[in-house]
Amino acid sequence: MASLLILAWIYFRIGLIFVGGGYVLIPLLNHIMVEQYRWLTLRQFLDGLALSQLTPGPLAMLATFTGFRAGGFLGGLVATVFIFIPCVVLMLIIGRNYHRLKNIDFIKNTLDGLLPAVVGLVAAAAWNLGASSLSGVKEFLILAVGFSIFKWTKISPMVVILGAGVVGLLLN
Amino acid sequence: MSDNAQRVSLTEIFLTFAKIGITGFGGGMAIVALVERICVREKKWITSEEFLHGLAFGQILGPFSLNVCTFTGHHLRGIRGGIIAAVAFILPSFLLVSTLSWIYFTYNKLPQLQAALKGTNPVIIGLIVVVAIDMGRKQIKGGNGALMALAAFSASIFLKLNAAWILLGAALWSLCSSYFRRRFT
Repeated sequence: MASLLILAWIYFRIGLIFVGGGYVLIPLLNHIMVEQYRWLTLRQFLDGLALSQLTPGPLAMLATFTGFRAGGFLGGLVATVFIFIPCVVLMLIIGRNYHRLKNIDFIKNTLDGLLPAVVGLVAAAAWNLGASSLSGVKEFLILAVGFSIFKWTKISPMVVILGAGVVGLLLN
Repeated sequence: MSDNAQRVSLTEIFLTFAKIGITGFGGGMAIVALVERICVREKKWITSEEFLHGLAFGQILGPFSLNVCTFTGHHLRGIRGGIIAAVAFILPSFLLVSTLSWIYFTYNKLPQLQAALKGTNPVIIGLIVVVAIDMGRKQIKGGNGALMALAAFSASIFLKLNAAWILLGAALWSLCSSYFRRRFT
């Protein structure tokens, strides 16, 4: 019980300073889990990192893995809930005030003005993912097929992604 | 909140975001692309502008993939909607990581799932590209917008700048330019 409270407190604090995407978490969690509390070896930590990237969730699922190691299933649950509390609360607060903020002219203008930058960031994510995972003709072929399906058909993206996973399993 | 938004049931919110949580392999923008396809395009739950505003706010704290789900859920049904969307989105990954962690700590072996990702990654890239093109068509008007999109793209790829910093810069730029436009025209 005490250890679960410690876990909750650790992950809540991490959630509060979790700024700038998942990669900030790696050195932070490594320091806390491996060096400070010695719940994991470095090897286990790196394996956990690979494992959390196998899932659809954010890299922060690393919290689930490290929490699981420290306190079993319940530990994983506590870690996951508490690391996400701060950002969920913040988004709820923003959501509540969003419509009021949007009626203030200069905020609306600023928000609309930065939308092209958001689009640029979306495109950059495709580029970065491509640079790290497109290695051969096969991958480019799958990319072309996927692009065409999403662009010109109404097939649900979920079906396409799961189908591609099966194709990946069969091909590799 | 529009009338259209009022009618969405909490169960439907849960099921939709759980499905997104099951299929969104490929990291943050893969999720964003999926939510855009499903909530903006298919179901028309939220407009493209509002969704992108949520994505911009979502860069502030925590994973933006989770944040756009919370934001969209809140847009539909207030605080309960936001929490349900967030929980539904995280739940599949949580169960998956818990199971994989259990396998890992019991057998000391990493499950071989990487092969499946080799198939999904290219498709995800295709999805993100399509979403970026569609968003660009709608949101980038004129040379200034195109320039800002290109600058953000380059800053992310070549300078490896953090998204939050890039958006802060873009916000300052658009603040200044609208201020000067008002003063001098």
